[in-house]
Amino acid sequence: MERLRYILQDALVNIRRSGWGGLASIGTIAVSFVILGIFLIITRNLGAVVAEWKEQFQVTVFLEDGITAEQLALVKKRIQSERAVRAMTYTSKEEALQSFKRELKGKESLLEGLGENPIPASLQLRVHEAYQTPEALRQFAAFLTRLEGVEDVLYGQEWVDRVASAVRVLRLLGLSVGLALGMASLLIVSNTIRLAVYARAEEIEIMRLVGATKTHIRAPFLLEGMIQGGLGAGLALLLLFGAYRATLWQLQLTPGQIFGVGVGSFLDPRWATAMLLAGASVGAFGSLISVGRFLRA
Amino acid sequence: MIQLFHVYKTYARDVEALVDINLHIQKGEFVFIAGPSGAGKTTLLRLIFRDELPTSGQILVNGRNVVKLPDRAIPHLRRSIGVIFQDFKLLRDRTIFDNLALVYRVLGIPSATGKRKVANLLKLVGLSHKVQMTPYRLSGGEQQRVAIARALMNDPLLLLADEPTGDLDADLSMDVMRLLGDINARGTTVVVATHDLDVVRELGRRTIVLKAGRLVEEHP
Ligand SMILES: Nc1ncnc2c1ncn2[C@@H]1O[C@H](COP(=O)(O)OP(=O)(O)OP(=O)(O)O)[C@@H](O)[C@H]1O
Ligand SMILES: [Mg+2]
Repeated sequence: MERLRYILQDALVNIRRSGWGGLASIGTIAVSFVILGIFLIITRNLGAVVAEWKEQFQVTVFLEDGITAEQLALVKKRIQSERAVRAMTYTSKEEALQSFKRELKGKESLLEGLGENPIPASLQLRVHEAYQTPEALRQFAAFLTRLEGVEDVLYGQEWVDRVASAVRVLRLLGLSVGLALGMASLLIVSNTIRLAVYARAEEIEIMRLVGATKTHIRAPFLLEGMIQGGLGAGLALLLLFGAYRATLWQLQLTPGQIFGVGVGSFLDPRWATAMLLAGASVGAFGSLISVGRFLRA
Repeated sequence: MIQLFHVYKTYARDVEALVDINLHIQKGEFVFIAGPSGAGKTTLLRLIFRDELPTSGQILVNGRNVVKLPDRAIPHLRRSIGVIFQDFKLLRDRTIFDNLALVYRVLGIPSATGKRKVANLLKLVGLSHKVQMTPYRLSGGEQQRVAIARALMNDPLLLLADEPTGDLDADLSMDVMRLLGDINARGTTVVVATHDLDVVRELGRRTIVLKAGRLVEEHP
């Protein structure tokens, strides 16, 4: 439609005229989104590490040397019927010794004086994530210890939880910092648009008097704010991506190698799109604040 | 075309700009609103295109009660009216062309049609050769004619002219009045506010005289 084209033209003229104010808007939004993005990338990667750990997390149940075949079968049955258990593997004394020897490759002599096999048979349990809280694990371990034929239970990975809660704190911190910076961006954009509105006050007045609708008068400013916000967020994404690649290069890593657990990635495309949209929304909202107050019928 | 019933307008601090005005202007008429400075002429025009609301009374314009018009219907009303403002309201940092183009952009007219319209109207007011100049460099009379051309951009049914001969000398004043007469002859209802009684007398059109906000005489 014709009017749409005129509105777009007006928005572009506004942007061209906004000069330093416009650049300040774009810059503030970019800085805010870079900081927000850094938090997002860090929490995303730490989150992936924690998830990986949780995935690999296992409880080891050491069995008594004198355990009978019936006892073992019963223990296995009792454990498998537990809802916390996702998978279970059995390692016999012999298998455990073999794998221990493999690990000691070249230093097998250390084992020579031991005579009979000192390593206990064991069950390795994978635990559903929901049961990986310290409280649930403690209860689960207590249950396992009481079973006949069980010597000892090993899990003690409370630090997984600590990292997980650190990620939560970091996420919250990032969100608050992002929110504060978002507010600052909003004010700066709204101020830039206010100046643009003042600069065009006469023109707006004439448009109003010759029958322009409020929407028509507002739209170019709204668009100007959205474009500024979108550009700011886009610039932030470029900066973040550059910094991300540079960091990888510095650390001599390829994507996916960070922390050695196959994570280490940039923002998800969905998050990147969300950031662009958020930038445009901040711009639109900042613009509405300024333009809304200015107009009368 | 225009009907006013017991219209009062009181601005803040008890300034009675209009008092009990009753008025009926037919479609196709040419009417002068005459009166000294401060009589309420501009106020009357602003009530008609709903730039102001009356304190009380009803105003019908082209069959619609503008007092009860919802906000969203106001643009439609204004698009059917051309207004020549007392202070012209031209954008000084834009060319004559841009000043007129503003109207067709608001109306959403395609630019080819709009440009043709600008060219035709500038020819009508005799300013075709100055299309790329800014109002800043035009004489008062030329600015006046740009304001007239802009008021005609929307092919109005009703033309409201507020002191269109403001600071012009007698000859130029008569030129402008002739132009408004031509526009009226083509079917547009024209209402002219002026304190220039010489012009009013010379033209012998229907005249409504305001004094201190009251309608004091009407002739012929
Ligand atoms: N926006 C306003 N606020 C307060 N008072 C106003 C306003 N506009 C006009 N007035 C007052 O209303 C009265 C009528 O003003 P108006 O502009 O209608 O007169 P006018 O006949 O057009 O005068 P002029 O010939 O000088 O243009 C004056 O006393 C003026 O001071
Ligand atoms: Mg006046």
